[in-house]
Amino acid sequence: MTVTSKSRSTESTQPHWLEWLVGAVSAVLIIAMTGWIAGEAILHQETAPEFRVENLATQVVKDGFRVEFEIFNDGTSTAAAVKVRGELIRGGQVTETAETTFDYVPGRSSSRGGLFFSQSPAGGDIRIRALGYTEP
Amino acid sequence: MVVGDGRQNERRQIDADADRLLKGVARGAAGALIFGLPMLMTMELWFLGFYMERYRLLILLLANLPLLVVLAHRIGFEETFTWSQALRDAVIAYGIAIAMSAAVLTLLGIAKLGMPPTDIVGKIVIQAVPASIGALLGRSQLGGEDQSSSAGDDQNENDFSTSYGRELFMMAIGALFLSLNVAPTEEIILISYKMTPWHATATVALSILVMHAFVYAVAFRGAHQLTVGTPRWHALIRFTLPGYVVALLMSLYVLWTLGRLDDTTPAQILMSAIVLGFPGAVGAAAARLIL
Repeated sequence: MTVTSKSRSTESTQPHWLEWLVGAVSAVLIIAMTGWIAGEAILHQETAPEFRVENLATQVVKDGFRVEFEIFNDGTSTAAAVKVRGELIRGGQVTETAETTFDYVPGRSSSRGGLFFSQSPAGGDIRIRALGYTEP
Repeated sequence: MVVGDGRQNERRQIDADADRLLKGVARGAAGALIFGLPMLMTMELWFLGFYMERYRLLILLLANLPLLVVLAHRIGFEETFTWSQALRDAVIAYGIAIAMSAAVLTLLGIAKLGMPPTDIVGKIVIQAVPASIGALLGRSQLGGEDQSSSAGDDQNENDFSTSYGRELFMMAIGALFLSLNVAPTEEIILISYKMTPWHATATVALSILVMHAFVYAVAFRGAHQLTVGTPRWHALIRFTLPGYVVALLMSLYVLWTLGRLDDTTPAQILMSAIVLGFPGAVGAAAARLIL
Protein backbone atom coordinates (compact mmCIF):
# COMPACT_ATOMS: atom_id res chain seq x y z
CA MET A 1 0.00 0.00 0.00
CA THR A 2 2.94 2.37 0.02
CA VAL A 3 2.48 4.65 -2.95
CA THR A 4 5.95 6.04 -2.80
CA SER A 5 7.68 2.73 -2.92
CA LYS A 6 7.53 2.47 -6.68
CA SER A 7 9.56 5.61 -7.10
CA ARG A 8 12.28 4.59 -4.70
CA SER A 9 15.21 3.23 -6.58
CA THR A 10 17.57 0.70 -5.19
CA GLU A 11 21.07 0.57 -6.54
CA SER A 12 22.05 -2.80 -7.89
CA THR A 13 24.08 -5.06 -5.61
CA GLN A 14 26.23 -6.38 -8.41
CA PRO A 15 27.38 -3.27 -10.24
CA HIS A 16 29.02 -3.45 -13.63
CA TRP A 17 32.80 -3.07 -13.54
CA LEU A 18 32.38 0.03 -15.70
CA GLU A 19 30.65 1.78 -12.81
CA TRP A 20 33.68 1.21 -10.61
CA LEU A 21 36.00 2.39 -13.35
CA VAL A 22 34.04 5.61 -13.89
CA GLY A 23 33.88 6.09 -10.14
CA ALA A 24 37.61 5.58 -9.73
CA VAL A 25 38.46 7.97 -12.58
CA SER A 26 36.12 10.56 -11.09
CA ALA A 27 37.67 10.19 -7.66
CA VAL A 28 41.13 10.69 -9.14
CA LEU A 29 39.98 13.77 -11.07
CA ILE A 30 38.36 15.36 -8.04
CA ILE A 31 41.33 14.61 -5.79
CA ALA A 32 43.71 16.01 -8.39
CA MET A 33 41.62 19.15 -8.78
CA THR A 34 41.30 19.72 -5.06
CA GLY A 35 44.97 19.01 -4.62
CA TRP A 36 45.90 21.54 -7.23
CA ILE A 37 43.74 24.22 -5.66
CA ALA A 38 45.06 23.40 -2.21
CA GLY A 39 48.57 23.70 -3.61
CA GLU A 40 47.61 27.03 -5.09
CA ALA A 41 46.28 28.10 -1.70
CA ILE A 42 49.47 27.13 0.09
CA LEU A 43 52.11 28.13 -2.44
CA HIS A 44 50.80 31.21 -4.15
CA GLN A 45 50.91 34.39 -2.22
CA GLU A 46 48.37 36.99 -3.05
CA THR A 47 49.94 39.86 -4.93
CA ALA A 48 48.28 43.14 -5.76
CA PRO A 49 47.20 43.76 -9.36
CA GLU A 50 49.95 45.01 -11.63
CA PHE A 51 49.10 46.19 -15.08
CA ARG A 52 50.94 46.09 -18.35
CA VAL A 53 49.44 47.25 -21.63
CA GLU A 54 50.27 46.14 -25.14
CA ASN A 55 49.02 48.04 -28.16
CA LEU A 56 47.69 45.63 -30.71
CA ALA A 57 46.58 47.58 -33.75
CA THR A 58 45.41 50.93 -35.01
CA GLN A 59 42.54 51.10 -37.43
CA VAL A 60 40.85 53.91 -39.29
CA VAL A 61 37.18 54.21 -38.31
CA LYS A 62 34.47 56.64 -39.29
CA ASP A 63 35.37 59.67 -37.18
CA GLY A 64 38.96 58.94 -36.38
CA PHE A 65 41.16 56.09 -35.28
CA ARG A 66 40.72 53.08 -33.08
CA VAL A 67 43.62 51.81 -31.04
CA GLU A 68 43.09 48.27 -29.82
CA PHE A 69 45.05 47.13 -26.82
CA GLU A 70 45.38 44.31 -24.36
CA ILE A 71 45.83 44.90 -20.65
CA PHE A 72 47.61 42.23 -18.61
CA ASN A 73 47.26 41.81 -14.89
CA ASP A 74 50.50 40.26 -13.65
CA GLY A 75 49.35 40.15 -10.04
CA THR A 76 47.38 37.22 -8.65
CA SER A 77 44.47 39.35 -7.39
CA THR A 78 41.65 40.34 -9.66
CA ALA A 79 41.02 44.02 -10.23
CA ALA A 80 37.58 45.46 -10.84
CA ALA A 81 36.55 48.76 -12.47
CA VAL A 82 39.97 49.22 -14.03
CA LYS A 83 40.17 52.68 -15.55
CA VAL A 84 42.50 52.96 -18.51
CA ARG A 85 43.66 56.16 -20.18
CA GLY A 86 45.41 56.52 -23.49
CA GLU A 87 47.44 59.60 -24.33
CA LEU A 88 48.51 60.68 -27.77
CA ILE A 89 51.86 62.41 -27.46
CA ARG A 90 53.37 64.59 -30.16
CA GLY A 91 56.60 66.46 -29.64
CA GLY A 92 56.51 65.86 -25.91
CA GLN A 93 52.99 67.30 -25.63
CA VAL A 94 49.82 65.39 -24.84
CA THR A 95 47.52 66.35 -27.68
CA GLU A 96 44.60 64.03 -27.01
CA THR A 97 43.37 61.57 -24.38
CA ALA A 98 40.83 58.75 -24.46
CA GLU A 99 39.52 56.63 -21.61
CA THR A 100 37.73 53.38 -21.00
CA THR A 101 36.88 51.20 -18.00
CA PHE A 102 37.14 47.42 -17.67
CA ASP A 103 34.65 45.67 -15.42
CA TYR A 104 37.27 43.09 -14.49
CA VAL A 105 40.85 42.24 -15.25
CA PRO A 106 41.35 38.84 -13.55
CA GLY A 107 44.62 37.96 -11.86
CA ARG A 108 47.26 36.51 -14.21
CA SER A 109 44.93 37.16 -17.13
CA SER A 110 44.29 39.81 -19.68
CA SER A 111 41.40 41.75 -21.15
CA ARG A 112 41.07 43.55 -24.44
CA GLY A 113 39.62 46.89 -25.29
CA GLY A 114 39.82 49.82 -27.68
CA LEU A 115 40.27 53.59 -27.47
CA PHE A 116 39.15 56.17 -30.01
CA PHE A 117 41.25 59.12 -31.09
CA SER A 118 40.20 61.81 -33.52
CA GLN A 119 43.77 62.57 -34.58
CA SER A 120 45.93 60.10 -36.38
CA PRO A 121 48.31 58.31 -34.04
CA ALA A 122 50.78 58.06 -36.90
CA GLY A 123 53.89 60.11 -36.25
CA GLY A 124 52.97 60.40 -32.58
CA ASP A 125 53.32 58.17 -29.60
CA ILE A 126 50.44 56.43 -27.85
CA ARG A 127 50.82 55.70 -24.19
CA ILE A 128 48.15 53.61 -22.50
CA ARG A 129 48.15 52.99 -18.78
CA ALA A 130 45.84 51.95 -15.97
CA LEU A 131 44.74 54.78 -13.70
CA GLY A 132 43.19 52.80 -10.90
CA TYR A 133 41.06 49.86 -9.84
CA THR A 134 38.85 48.59 -7.06
CA GLU A 135 38.89 45.22 -5.33
CA PRO A 136 36.01 43.09 -6.53
CA MET B 1 -21.96 -4.48 -36.51
CA VAL B 2 -18.67 -5.58 -35.06
CA VAL B 3 -16.94 -3.44 -37.68
CA GLY B 4 -19.06 -0.41 -36.72
CA ASP B 5 -18.20 -0.85 -33.07
CA GLY B 6 -14.55 -1.04 -33.96
CA ARG B 7 -14.74 2.24 -35.88
CA GLN B 8 -16.49 3.95 -33.02
CA ASN B 9 -13.90 2.71 -30.60
CA GLU B 10 -11.21 3.91 -32.93
CA ARG B 11 -12.72 7.37 -33.11
CA ARG B 12 -13.13 7.48 -29.36
CA GLN B 13 -9.49 6.44 -29.07
CA ILE B 14 -8.42 9.22 -31.44
CA ASP B 15 -10.45 11.79 -29.49
CA ALA B 16 -8.92 10.63 -26.24
CA ASP B 17 -5.45 10.78 -27.81
CA ALA B 18 -6.02 14.32 -29.07
CA ASP B 19 -7.33 15.36 -25.67
CA ARG B 20 -4.32 13.88 -23.95
CA LEU B 21 -1.95 15.58 -26.39
CA LEU B 22 -3.63 18.97 -25.89
CA LYS B 23 -3.45 18.54 -22.15
CA GLY B 24 0.19 17.59 -22.53
CA VAL B 25 0.87 20.71 -24.59
CA ALA B 26 -0.81 22.90 -21.97
CA ARG B 27 1.22 21.26 -19.22
CA GLY B 28 4.34 21.72 -21.30
CA ALA B 29 3.57 25.42 -21.68
CA ALA B 30 3.05 25.68 -17.93
CA GLY B 31 6.34 23.90 -17.32
CA ALA B 32 8.14 26.14 -19.78
CA LEU B 33 6.83 29.16 -17.86
CA ILE B 34 7.64 27.83 -14.41
CA PHE B 35 11.16 26.77 -15.31
CA GLY B 36 11.81 29.47 -17.89
CA LEU B 37 10.58 32.66 -16.20
CA PRO B 38 13.60 33.22 -13.96
CA MET B 39 15.76 33.23 -17.08
CA LEU B 40 13.31 35.15 -19.22
CA MET B 41 13.62 37.92 -16.66
CA THR B 42 17.40 37.88 -16.45
CA MET B 43 18.99 40.87 -18.14
CA GLU B 44 22.29 39.17 -18.88
CA LEU B 45 20.56 36.53 -20.96
CA TRP B 46 18.94 39.15 -23.19
CA PHE B 47 22.37 40.62 -23.83
CA LEU B 48 23.89 37.19 -24.39
CA GLY B 49 21.21 36.62 -26.99
CA PHE B 50 22.86 39.12 -29.27
CA TYR B 51 26.49 39.13 -28.31
CA MET B 52 27.27 35.48 -27.74
CA GLU B 53 29.14 33.80 -30.53
CA ARG B 54 26.79 32.28 -33.05
CA TYR B 55 28.58 28.98 -33.39
CA ARG B 56 28.44 28.41 -29.65
CA LEU B 57 24.74 29.23 -29.70
CA LEU B 58 24.31 26.78 -32.57
CA ILE B 59 26.12 24.00 -30.68
CA LEU B 60 23.91 24.61 -27.64
CA LEU B 61 20.75 24.45 -29.74
CA LEU B 62 21.82 21.29 -31.55
CA ALA B 63 23.01 19.60 -28.36
CA ASN B 64 19.70 20.39 -26.70
CA LEU B 65 17.71 18.20 -29.07
CA PRO B 66 19.23 14.77 -28.31
CA LEU B 67 19.15 15.75 -24.65
CA LEU B 68 15.42 16.42 -24.89
CA VAL B 69 14.86 13.16 -26.75
CA VAL B 70 16.51 11.13 -23.99
CA LEU B 71 14.63 13.13 -21.37
CA ALA B 72 11.35 12.61 -23.22
CA HIS B 73 12.02 8.91 -23.48
CA ARG B 74 12.63 8.78 -19.77
CA ILE B 75 9.69 10.77 -18.46
CA GLY B 76 7.29 10.64 -21.38
CA PHE B 77 5.36 13.59 -22.71
CA GLU B 78 2.37 11.35 -23.09
CA GLU B 79 3.48 7.84 -22.24
CA THR B 80 6.42 7.68 -24.56
CA PHE B 81 7.75 4.28 -25.36
CA THR B 82 9.48 4.31 -28.70
CA TRP B 83 12.32 6.58 -29.69
CA SER B 84 10.36 8.07 -32.57
CA GLN B 85 7.64 9.08 -30.12
CA ALA B 86 10.32 10.49 -27.85
CA LEU B 87 11.68 12.50 -30.78
CA ARG B 88 8.19 13.83 -31.51
CA ASP B 89 7.67 14.80 -27.89
CA ALA B 90 11.08 16.46 -27.72
CA VAL B 91 10.33 18.50 -30.83
CA ILE B 92 6.92 19.49 -29.45
CA ALA B 93 8.52 20.57 -26.16
CA TYR B 94 11.15 22.56 -28.05
CA GLY B 95 8.41 24.18 -30.11
CA ILE B 96 6.38 25.07 -27.03
CA ALA B 97 9.50 26.52 -25.43
CA ILE B 98 10.28 28.69 -28.46
CA ALA B 99 6.69 29.92 -28.63
CA MET B 100 6.54 30.66 -24.90
CA SER B 101 9.91 32.44 -24.94
CA ALA B 102 8.85 34.56 -27.91
CA ALA B 103 5.52 35.37 -26.25
CA VAL B 104 7.01 36.33 -22.89
CA LEU B 105 9.87 38.35 -24.38
CA THR B 106 7.35 40.23 -26.53
CA LEU B 107 5.09 40.76 -23.54
CA LEU B 108 7.95 42.18 -21.49
CA GLY B 109 8.90 44.52 -24.32
CA ILE B 110 12.33 42.95 -24.74
CA ALA B 111 11.73 41.68 -28.25
CA LYS B 112 10.21 44.45 -30.34
CA LEU B 113 9.48 45.02 -33.98
CA GLY B 114 12.24 46.95 -35.66
CA MET B 115 15.01 45.20 -33.74
CA PRO B 116 17.54 43.37 -35.87
CA PRO B 117 16.32 39.81 -36.55
CA THR B 118 19.55 38.24 -35.22
CA ASP B 119 18.97 40.06 -31.95
CA ILE B 120 15.37 38.87 -31.57
CA VAL B 121 16.06 35.32 -32.73
CA GLY B 122 19.17 35.06 -30.54
CA LYS B 123 17.24 36.17 -27.46
CA ILE B 124 14.35 33.79 -28.06
CA VAL B 125 16.50 30.85 -28.98
CA ILE B 126 18.80 30.96 -25.95
CA GLN B 127 15.77 31.13 -23.66
CA ALA B 128 14.19 28.19 -25.43
CA VAL B 129 16.86 25.79 -24.14
CA PRO B 130 16.01 25.93 -20.42
CA ALA B 131 12.33 26.47 -21.24
CA SER B 132 12.23 23.28 -23.32
CA ILE B 133 13.61 21.26 -20.41
CA GLY B 134 10.91 22.92 -18.31
CA ALA B 135 8.27 21.99 -20.87
CA LEU B 136 9.23 18.33 -20.64
CA LEU B 137 9.48 18.42 -16.85
CA GLY B 138 6.12 20.18 -16.68
CA ARG B 139 4.52 17.14 -18.18
CA SER B 140 6.14 14.79 -15.71
CA GLN B 141 5.85 16.91 -12.56
CA LEU B 142 2.48 18.57 -13.09
CA GLY B 143 0.92 15.49 -14.61
CA GLY B 144 0.74 13.16 -11.67
CA GLU B 145 -0.93 10.22 -13.41
CA ASP B 146 0.64 7.81 -15.89
CA GLN B 147 3.72 7.57 -13.72
CA SER B 148 3.62 3.83 -13.41
CA SER B 149 4.30 3.44 -17.11
CA SER B 150 7.71 5.06 -16.91
CA ALA B 151 8.58 3.03 -13.85
CA GLY B 152 7.66 -0.14 -15.70
CA ASP B 153 9.75 1.02 -18.61
CA ASP B 154 12.78 1.19 -16.39
CA GLN B 155 12.44 -2.32 -15.11
CA ASN B 156 12.60 -3.65 -18.64
CA GLU B 157 16.14 -2.48 -18.92
CA ASN B 158 18.48 -5.19 -17.87
CA ASP B 159 21.65 -3.79 -19.34
CA PHE B 160 23.65 -2.45 -16.42
CA SER B 161 25.88 -0.03 -18.23
CA THR B 162 22.98 1.45 -20.19
CA SER B 163 21.00 2.37 -17.11
CA TYR B 164 24.18 3.60 -15.43
CA GLY B 165 24.91 5.79 -18.44
CA ARG B 166 21.31 6.96 -18.30
CA GLU B 167 21.74 7.87 -14.65
CA LEU B 168 24.80 9.99 -15.45
CA PHE B 169 22.92 11.50 -18.38
CA MET B 170 20.04 12.54 -16.15
CA MET B 171 22.53 14.15 -13.77
CA ALA B 172 24.02 16.02 -16.72
CA ILE B 173 20.59 17.37 -17.65
CA GLY B 174 19.89 18.49 -14.09
CA ALA B 175 23.30 20.13 -13.84
CA LEU B 176 22.90 21.81 -17.23
CA PHE B 177 19.52 23.18 -16.29
CA LEU B 178 20.56 24.71 -12.99
CA SER B 179 23.89 25.90 -14.39
CA LEU B 180 22.11 27.66 -17.25
CA ASN B 181 19.84 29.27 -14.68
CA VAL B 182 22.70 30.75 -12.73
CA ALA B 183 25.62 31.09 -15.13
CA PRO B 184 24.50 34.11 -17.17
CA THR B 185 24.59 36.43 -14.17
CA GLU B 186 27.73 38.37 -13.40
CA GLU B 187 27.65 37.07 -9.84
CA ILE B 188 29.26 33.75 -10.80
CA ILE B 189 32.32 35.55 -12.12
CA LEU B 190 32.34 37.97 -9.20
CA ILE B 191 32.10 35.16 -6.64
CA SER B 192 34.98 33.29 -8.24
CA TYR B 193 37.07 36.46 -7.95
CA LYS B 194 36.12 36.96 -4.32
CA MET B 195 36.83 33.37 -3.31
CA THR B 196 40.24 32.24 -2.14
CA PRO B 197 41.48 28.73 -3.05
CA TRP B 198 40.50 27.69 0.48
CA HIS B 199 36.92 28.70 -0.17
CA ALA B 200 37.05 26.68 -3.38
CA THR B 201 38.21 23.46 -1.68
CA ALA B 202 35.45 23.87 0.89
CA THR B 203 32.92 24.36 -1.92
CA VAL B 204 34.07 21.15 -3.60
CA ALA B 205 33.65 19.19 -0.37
CA LEU B 206 30.27 20.75 0.35
CA SER B 207 29.00 20.15 -3.19
CA ILE B 208 29.83 16.44 -2.98
CA LEU B 209 28.33 16.18 0.51
CA VAL B 210 25.12 17.92 -0.52
CA MET B 211 24.84 15.75 -3.62
CA HIS B 212 25.27 12.55 -1.68
CA ALA B 213 22.94 13.60 1.13
CA PHE B 214 20.25 14.71 -1.33
CA VAL B 215 20.06 11.33 -2.95
CA TYR B 216 20.84 8.88 -0.17
CA ALA B 217 20.45 10.39 3.27
CA VAL B 218 17.52 12.80 3.13
CA ALA B 219 14.48 10.64 2.50
CA PHE B 220 12.88 12.59 -0.31
CA ARG B 221 10.33 10.95 -2.50
CA GLY B 222 12.31 9.22 -5.21
CA ALA B 223 15.36 8.90 -2.99
CA HIS B 224 17.74 6.08 -3.76
CA GLN B 225 18.32 3.23 -1.42
CA LEU B 226 21.23 0.94 -0.96
CA THR B 227 20.65 -2.71 -0.41
CA VAL B 228 21.35 -3.84 3.12
CA GLY B 229 24.99 -4.63 3.66
CA THR B 230 26.30 -2.34 0.93
CA PRO B 231 28.72 0.16 2.43
CA ARG B 232 27.84 3.82 1.89
CA TRP B 233 31.09 4.61 0.14
CA HIS B 234 30.11 2.25 -2.69
CA ALA B 235 27.43 4.66 -3.85
CA LEU B 236 29.73 7.59 -3.21
CA ILE B 237 32.33 6.24 -5.62
CA ARG B 238 29.94 4.84 -8.20
CA PHE B 239 27.37 7.61 -8.37
CA THR B 240 28.11 10.76 -6.41
CA LEU B 241 31.70 11.37 -7.49
CA PRO B 242 31.04 10.71 -11.21
CA GLY B 243 27.95 12.89 -10.81
CA TYR B 244 30.06 15.71 -9.43
CA VAL B 245 32.52 15.39 -12.30
CA VAL B 246 29.56 15.50 -14.70
CA ALA B 247 28.27 18.64 -12.93
CA LEU B 248 31.71 20.25 -13.24
CA LEU B 249 31.92 19.37 -16.93
CA MET B 250 28.47 20.85 -17.53
CA SER B 251 29.55 23.99 -15.67
CA LEU B 252 32.60 24.26 -17.89
CA TYR B 253 30.48 23.74 -20.98
CA VAL B 254 27.94 26.39 -19.95
CA LEU B 255 30.68 28.86 -19.02
CA TRP B 256 32.39 28.26 -22.35
CA THR B 257 29.10 28.65 -24.22
CA LEU B 258 28.44 31.97 -22.56
CA GLY B 259 31.99 33.13 -23.29
CA ARG B 260 33.00 33.34 -19.64
CA LEU B 261 36.23 31.39 -20.10
CA ASP B 262 37.78 33.53 -22.81
CA ASP B 263 41.21 35.00 -22.00
CA THR B 264 41.19 33.43 -18.56
CA THR B 265 43.89 31.45 -16.79
CA PRO B 266 43.33 27.77 -15.94
CA ALA B 267 43.17 28.63 -12.23
CA GLN B 268 40.35 31.12 -12.80
CA ILE B 269 38.54 28.71 -15.13
CA LEU B 270 38.64 26.06 -12.43
CA MET B 271 37.42 28.50 -9.79
CA SER B 272 34.41 29.55 -11.90
CA ALA B 273 33.66 25.90 -12.67
CA ILE B 274 33.68 25.06 -8.96
CA VAL B 275 31.42 28.00 -8.16
CA LEU B 276 28.96 27.03 -10.87
CA GLY B 277 29.46 23.37 -10.01
CA PHE B 278 27.74 23.94 -6.70
CA PRO B 279 24.30 24.71 -8.17
CA GLY B 280 25.16 22.17 -10.88
CA ALA B 281 25.68 19.46 -8.25
CA VAL B 282 22.39 20.33 -6.58
CA GLY B 283 20.69 20.19 -10.00
CA ALA B 284 22.28 16.82 -10.76
CA ALA B 285 21.16 15.39 -7.43
CA ALA B 286 17.66 16.79 -7.88
CA ALA B 287 17.49 15.23 -11.34
CA ARG B 288 18.18 11.80 -9.83
CA LEU B 289 15.28 12.30 -7.47
CA ILE B 290 12.81 13.82 -9.91
CA LEU B 291 13.50 11.93 -13.12
